[in-house]
Amino acid sequence: MSLEKERIMIEVTSDWYLTLSAILFSIGFLGMMIRKNALIMFMCIELMLNAVNLTFITASNHLGLVDGQIAVFFVLVVAAAEVVVGLAIIVSIFKKQESASVDMLSSSKG
Amino acid sequence: MEILILGVLLIPFLTSLLLKVAGKYMNELLTNFVTLNASLLSVAVSFFLFGYIFLDKFKPLNFELFEWFPEPQIVFEFYLDGLSGVMMVLISTLSLVIQLFSTSYMSNDEKYTKYFEYFNFFVFSMLLLVLSGNFLVMFFGWELVGLSSYLLISFWSEKKSASKAGNKAFILNRIGDFGFLIGLMMILNYFETFNFLSIFENTLKTRPENLDLMILFLLLGAFGKSAQFPLFSWLPDAMEGPTPASALIHAATMVTAGVFMLVRISPILQFSEIGSITIISLGLLTALISAFAAINQDDIKKVLAYSTISQLGFMFIAIGAGAYVAAIFHLVTHAFFKALLFLGAGAVIHEMHHEQNIYKMGGLRKKMPVTAAMMGIGTLAISGIPPLAGFWSKDEILASVFSRGGIYYGFWALSLLAALMTAFYMGRHWLLIFVKEPSNELDSVNEAPKNMTRPLILLGLFSIFIGFINTPFFHGLEKVLHETLYNVEVTHLPKGITLAVLAFLSIGAGFTGLALAYLIYIFDIFSYFKIKIPFLKQFKKLSKDVLYLNKIGNLIFVKGLKSLSRKVAVSVDGMTIDGFINGVAKSFLKSSRQISFSQTGLVRSYVVYFGLFMLVLIFVFLLSPGVLS
Amino acid sequence: MTDLLLFAIPGLFIILGALIVIFAKNPVHNAMGLVLTLTSLAILYISLNATFVAMVQMLVYAGAVMTLFLFVIMMIGVDKPEQSKEEIKGQKLLISGTLILLVSVVVFIGLENGLNWNLLFPQSQNTFEGTPSLLASAMFTSWVFPFEVISILLIVATTAALALAYEFRKRENND
Repeated sequence: MSLEKERIMIEVTSDWYLTLSAILFSIGFLGMMIRKNALIMFMCIELMLNAVNLTFITASNHLGLVDGQIAVFFVLVVAAAEVVVGLAIIVSIFKKQESASVDMLSSSKG
Repeated sequence: MEILILGVLLIPFLTSLLLKVAGKYMNELLTNFVTLNASLLSVAVSFFLFGYIFLDKFKPLNFELFEWFPEPQIVFEFYLDGLSGVMMVLISTLSLVIQLFSTSYMSNDEKYTKYFEYFNFFVFSMLLLVLSGNFLVMFFGWELVGLSSYLLISFWSEKKSASKAGNKAFILNRIGDFGFLIGLMMILNYFETFNFLSIFENTLKTRPENLDLMILFLLLGAFGKSAQFPLFSWLPDAMEGPTPASALIHAATMVTAGVFMLVRISPILQFSEIGSITIISLGLLTALISAFAAINQDDIKKVLAYSTISQLGFMFIAIGAGAYVAAIFHLVTHAFFKALLFLGAGAVIHEMHHEQNIYKMGGLRKKMPVTAAMMGIGTLAISGIPPLAGFWSKDEILASVFSRGGIYYGFWALSLLAALMTAFYMGRHWLLIFVKEPSNELDSVNEAPKNMTRPLILLGLFSIFIGFINTPFFHGLEKVLHETLYNVEVTHLPKGITLAVLAFLSIGAGFTGLALAYLIYIFDIFSYFKIKIPFLKQFKKLSKDVLYLNKIGNLIFVKGLKSLSRKVAVSVDGMTIDGFINGVAKSFLKSSRQISFSQTGLVRSYVVYFGLFMLVLIFVFLLSPGVLS
Repeated sequence: MTDLLLFAIPGLFIILGALIVIFAKNPVHNAMGLVLTLTSLAILYISLNATFVAMVQMLVYAGAVMTLFLFVIMMIGVDKPEQSKEEIKGQKLLISGTLILLVSVVVFIGLENGLNWNLLFPQSQNTFEGTPSLLASAMFTSWVFPFEVISILLIVATTAALALAYEFRKRENND
């Protein structure tokens, strides 16, 4: 009885994964706020996307539906597309001002 | 046989189309060849068709081209009975004669071919109008004659007055057409068809409650097209167009479209007491006003224009009195002698090198004997001197009005006065042009060319003899129109001695008018007896300015509306609407300038704001009822 | 116990890698942290029955995308230290405000529920293995339209990257 109770105590439920996903997302967002390097901000975006992916997979497992995993593929494709374009932009910015800091890019100031 | 109706319509239409397409490559000779042959063919087909229905005792022909709408059923159809037959023959004959005249009058004009293109287009439109089998097709023709009239009035559009006159005619006609259109809508609403025959049969059984209103709206259309009071002022201005075109359109055919339409709808019209009274009173008013106005005009064509309006007034009097045959009879005779007078005036203008003031003419009798003689015939005809055409028709109108009795005695007396005035101003017109001592040298004036005098002679013969188609002794036209007016109560002439007395009185009026004109303008009776008429100058001015009706209309409708619209433009549009819109735009501009500081352009601060507000949203979501148990 | 280990060890690595990404000064270290996170996530996916997704995660993310990242880092150069001084006025205040708000949201939810998550839907009894054939049968039937749309997006992105690079080279030639 006591052994089984212990087993129940440490059973990994979907909540755990979701909490992990929330923490990962928060870290990614914190990075977006504090880092100035455009490249690293990009990595933070990747972190957040992966947090979302984890949520999708967890939900898929939790609900017993395959659709969550399909959604992950779409997110993957969007992330890849975004990386390709984003990195090209970063390279061209860098060539122009010899720095990847986003704070220099304030030409859209009102 | 019915298909020939389409042929009659298509000949002038195709001619016009050909002149439009190939006009650039055609010289005057080729144009003449095309247009005159086409007209000749048209006349032949018209006479053939008329002969056919004549032999068939004027049993109507119906030709359905195609079905237009299924429900309510509207068919594009044509209808040929005695009435449209008479009009068809009249139009095609006159158009041939007048085109013959035009070849000489218009020669050496830059837009020679264009003139004939418009002319044929007008003939097509007018034939479409008279041959229509229902109201909608009639409306088509109605609008197309308006358009071609506009084109011909402003034919010399480089002259500002001509284009202005065209606009005026178009706009005043629009007022009438607006009424006509509303009338048509009411007809469709009640009868659910446009076909003449089914409408007429329906009216015999049940009469619409708003019949009077329907008739009054249709009347507005007729008044606009036929230049009756108060929509008459466009016709004198329309004289800016080429004179032969004026002869056909603004004297002989188009302006009689209103008369034609009223006779066509006479099976409905006879049931509307108010309609008839309106027609006769406004017709009489028009006849008197325009006869008065014609007395003191200087322009050779304007006299004839006012005379046309006055004669159209006579036709309206006849319709109002229920004498539909007399109206059509006068329409026919008037078409011939007025076309004659206009063409004669055209010949004079042509020879006088476009001088139109009759006081600068005079003595042309010796220079242009044929023209003078023919115009003399026209003058006698319009004055109602027997046995010329005008006498028979005008006398029939006057006698018919008299035979209605009651209030119509008054109408008869006033009509007789108008007839007297007609004789007077026409006498003045002819005498001033041809008889009076010339005020200046007229050496360069010669007799008009043969192409002009021949049509004049032809029309002169018509003016003499056309009256015999419907005398008190031979009711020819009545038989022609018998089928058309089958269920219509037509006012008949009085019999015996009354008719003789009435005829004598109207002849007397004609002679009196002519004699007065001679005494005043040639014999100069006033200075001979040293009589001073008080207010003569004011009287003359009043006549010349048409009782100031034009000026009053101008003051009310043009100046009044102009100042009103200017006020509206400044206050409503400028201050309220523009102010509101500009104010909105300015406030947005101002507020956006004040908010723009928040756009730092720094990506990271945007990220922070984004996150902050997302968290706030999460809070709101959590605190909203039902989320947390 | 194995479940717990299979969750806890990759979970710890994920958080560690994420922290490296946002705090390390050298961009190469950042990228390596990201690789750590992504690889650990793949392990979690396997324990969540998404084997094919885990494979793709390894190949596409940890492989291709990270290679691209590293390539760019090397191209730009790693020798330029980032300015550590905060330049945007009020940014620090706003960041700490956001963090406080975030923590308070978490605390609020935790206290409201007695430290217990209540998911809206119950755990399904239906378990399945995310094999390629299963995914494909879903992807190419009910998801085929989004699939086509996303492929168009990919082509557009490729073209866009080409366009950016091309313009770039042309300018070089002109100089």
